[in-house]
Amino acid sequence: MTPAKNILNYSYYPGCSLHASAKEYDESTRGLFKALKIGLHEVPDWLCCGATPAHNVDELLSLSLCAKNLELSNKVDGDLAVACAACFSRLKVTQHRLAENEEKRHQVAYALDAPLALDKPVKHLLEILAADFGLDRLAAAVQKPLSGLRVACYYGCLLTRPPDVPELDDCEDPSIMERVIGATGAETVSWSHRMECCGANFTLSRPGVVLKLSGEILASAKRGGADCIMVACPLCHGNLDIRQKEIEEASGRHYGMPVFYMTQLLALAAGVSTSKLGFGSMMVSPEPLLKAKNLL
Amino acid sequence: MKHSKMTLSAETMNLGFVKKVEQLSGSSVRRCFQCGKCSAGCPMRSFMEHPPNRIVRLLQLGQYERVLAGRSIWYCASCETCTTRCPNKVDLAAIMDALRKLSWDAQGPSKESLVQLANRLFIDNIRTYGRQYEMRLAAVFNLKSGKLLKDFMLGPSLFTKGKLKVFHKKNRNIGEIERIFSRIEELRRKGEAT
Repeated sequence: MTPAKNILNYSYYPGCSLHASAKEYDESTRGLFKALKIGLHEVPDWLCCGATPAHNVDELLSLSLCAKNLELSNKVDGDLAVACAACFSRLKVTQHRLAENEEKRHQVAYALDAPLALDKPVKHLLEILAADFGLDRLAAAVQKPLSGLRVACYYGCLLTRPPDVPELDDCEDPSIMERVIGATGAETVSWSHRMECCGANFTLSRPGVVLKLSGEILASAKRGGADCIMVACPLCHGNLDIRQKEIEEASGRHYGMPVFYMTQLLALAAGVSTSKLGFGSMMVSPEPLLKAKNLL
Repeated sequence: MKHSKMTLSAETMNLGFVKKVEQLSGSSVRRCFQCGKCSAGCPMRSFMEHPPNRIVRLLQLGQYERVLAGRSIWYCASCETCTTRCPNKVDLAAIMDALRKLSWDAQGPSKESLVQLANRLFIDNIRTYGRQYEMRLAAVFNLKSGKLLKDFMLGPSLFTKGKLKVFHKKNRNIGEIERIFSRIEELRRKGEAT
């Protein structure tokens, strides 16, 4: 491989949560990419992808908001790196749906009042790390091996579904998260609920749904012998971390299960200063666990 | 209503509605042969009065009022498990989107108002700010739903953890964003989009 090929550069769509409740995901993503010498440049003036509420009641709006973001992403060089599983899914779905439907393409072009520019490849961080950067190089960049840490990789719904769209991994039996975190020396556990829904945006309207579904996920991770859960979605994180205390109170079970963003663990392994990983923002403190494993 | 007797006749079956759903969703409703795999894998099943496969069966029988009147369509989490596992490639998640849109547009008779309120506020936030203003979303939801104290205990710790962003700027390109919304409305007024 020639040295020039080693220089990776991406445009970056953080999504709304990464500027607010999931700022540790943003912070650790930037820290990790800097440590790995991968360029990451935020798309100017990006807007909300519409997430689930938009496509739930107005597909044309959802497609238009994502098409606008794809258009804006052309202002920055490099494939589009996306951290949030929901934004990733909506952007990819938009590319697929518009490629196959001429009528919708015309409608969206009318809404944007511009010719459509949808071709920029959209990539989840996992794909960038596993395929573009490569697992060997990731393993070589590890300064602090996470050996002894038992991680439950939680995919949730949208990293691999619907089956024809994300092109990230097998839609029923993915392994990309295990492969990526495995490169740091961490141990990954086998467990039943890695692709079950956490209750998603019912956290606002019907939090009881989240207490039940996320409670089952925490119980499953515990049964699987995990020390912690690793996620790639701000909503999953909010439901499993922010609502964990409520889940414990409602179910009478104690979990104390730290929930990490994938980039927090990867950046920790790559030697990024812990002050830049946002551990202080997590509701379930990871400190006792990381100290016990000699990682802090 | 769940177990009430159903009489099927030309008068009680609205098959035009099925065509509308198929057109909006881009998925066949008729292809379903009731294997039940969608309901077996549905994480929201226990919250619904009609499980996903029954919703499709009711549609096939032209009983759309029963489907829209309940809360089931609003309790779908859009996890796409049903679509992923359907052996007949019925895109049930897209059918659910189409049903919600038809119910939403008709300001239909659904019992589930809180999910609809949350959706409405989320979309309004995009139009007003460009990006989600999470704290405002939660605050306005509590105000409008009358659940003033919902998650009250979470507030202080979220604030201490730096997860509540109090101030939120509008996007610089908010004018362009407003234009997207108004041009979609224009398309619909002209009957050129559903």
